[in-house]
Amino acid sequence: MIEFKNVCKKYPNGTLALDDVSLKIDDGEFVFIVGESGAGKSTMLKTLFREEKISSGTLIVDGYDLRKTPNRKIPHYRRNLGIVFQDFRLFPNKTVFENVAFAMRAIGVPSRDINRRVPTILRIVNLQDKAKSFPRELSGGEQQRVALARALANNPSIIIADEPTGNIDPKLSLEIMNLLIKIHKHGKTVIVVTHEKNFVDYFQQRVITIKDGHVVDDKVGGMFDE
Amino acid sequence: MSKKQRSRYSLGYLISQAFKSLFRNGMMSVASIAVLMSCLTVMGSFALLVYNINYNLDQLGSLNEIVVYCDTDLSDEDVDAIGRRVRLMDNVNEEAVKLITKEEVLIEERQKYSEFTDLFDQMDQSGVNPYPDTFVIQYEDNNKVSALQMELEQIEGVHKVQCRADLAETIESLKNSIIFIFMWFLVILFLVSVFVIINTIKLAVHSRKQEISIMRYVGATRWFITTPFVIEGIIIGVVSSGIAYAIEYFLYRTVYNAVSVNYGMIDIVPFGELQNVLLIGFAAVGIITGIIGTSISLSKHLKA
Repeated sequence: MIEFKNVCKKYPNGTLALDDVSLKIDDGEFVFIVGESGAGKSTMLKTLFREEKISSGTLIVDGYDLRKTPNRKIPHYRRNLGIVFQDFRLFPNKTVFENVAFAMRAIGVPSRDINRRVPTILRIVNLQDKAKSFPRELSGGEQQRVALARALANNPSIIIADEPTGNIDPKLSLEIMNLLIKIHKHGKTVIVVTHEKNFVDYFQQRVITIKDGHVVDDKVGGMFDE
Repeated sequence: MSKKQRSRYSLGYLISQAFKSLFRNGMMSVASIAVLMSCLTVMGSFALLVYNINYNLDQLGSLNEIVVYCDTDLSDEDVDAIGRRVRLMDNVNEEAVKLITKEEVLIEERQKYSEFTDLFDQMDQSGVNPYPDTFVIQYEDNNKVSALQMELEQIEGVHKVQCRADLAETIESLKNSIIFIFMWFLVILFLVSVFVIINTIKLAVHSRKQEISIMRYVGATRWFITTPFVIEGIIIGVVSSGIAYAIEYFLYRTVYNAVSVNYGMIDIVPFGELQNVLLIGFAAVGIITGIIGTSISLSKHLKA
């Protein structure tokens, strides 16, 4: 479970990016976070994967109180998360297989287990035939699927996707969104930050709208209100 | 799989990753090695120069000689008596008291001033040798040389005592000044080198900022992220120091040969006497700056 309780995030330059945010996301939920540029969506995600520490309030994710968790425990906390970025962030010099395997190696999974699990994960994202390809040989949609496979590699309970379709064409974007829904149906909590009104309206999931650092709307089966 | 086995497995993986990324980031690796190697070569050359200057000044300063001129009218027995007395004196190296007889001096002078043959012929005809019997004495302790000089002057039959203590002192103080200035140069050179090396490594690490951020997001520990970079730093340090050592060897050999042939009075310490210190020094500086540079550069990207 994710719980924001009166969370504020103030940057050293004085910008108040999150202002008294309180919300709860239950295990297995699918949530869209929408809002204009600079509304605080990215900061919200950054506080979730502890790239940024909150200034006040309480943020609890899967039992970790992120304001109090010491830095040395953060890598272990992050293993509960699968993070997908708009710009994919793949290793250009590693093959698809190696990119996915890397997430497992980083936490000490033995090679034998890696060799067994990576093909399974690649099958989930339908990239089993591209295991030996390098990212530059793949389309944007395929690269994002590799990023998704990497996010799934360590079987995290939460998937966080920051504008996952921002860099790919609309046709392939639907594929990615469908994959996220599929992952959600397997019991994962999925949080997607997006600007894509069509998808938000189409999938009819919970929609949290952020404006000027505040949660201004939070509806299940909501729409993207502009 | 036990914890111990797992960590050993990880270390093997991390070492292989360090080698792979050295090749993958070829240009930055070459740049880092080139910078480190240049700094080590300059520092090494400077250190060897300082060492050799120090060595030569030491040689000069260790003359430790006093020259005693006897009266010209002394008999051989009188001169022998002075010699025996001198050998028993405190601060005199008994083995190193050398008598140059007036006859030997005459021969020496005749050779030195061969254009004045007439003058020396006249001396022969008159049977008068105007040169004194001379003792060249080596003393042991530079600090007690004034007392020794006074003692020698009081011996009957001694005409004059010439001491080179002032020369030794001048050389000693010159040596100290040179060493002091050169050591500061060396320290500054070292600091500049470390600064340049660390910045080069910083640049190399910065170019892989994204790689580090991906590692963090997938939950890699600080150890997992840092180790390959540190191993890379060590490899860069070892390779650079190896190349710098080879360059230094050839440079030194060239200078050694040139100086030995053209400037016989300058003593150059053979490379063999310095090679271990140089190799250890290079390796230590190379590896330590490699590790420090990597750690400083990484800490910026590893807040949590």
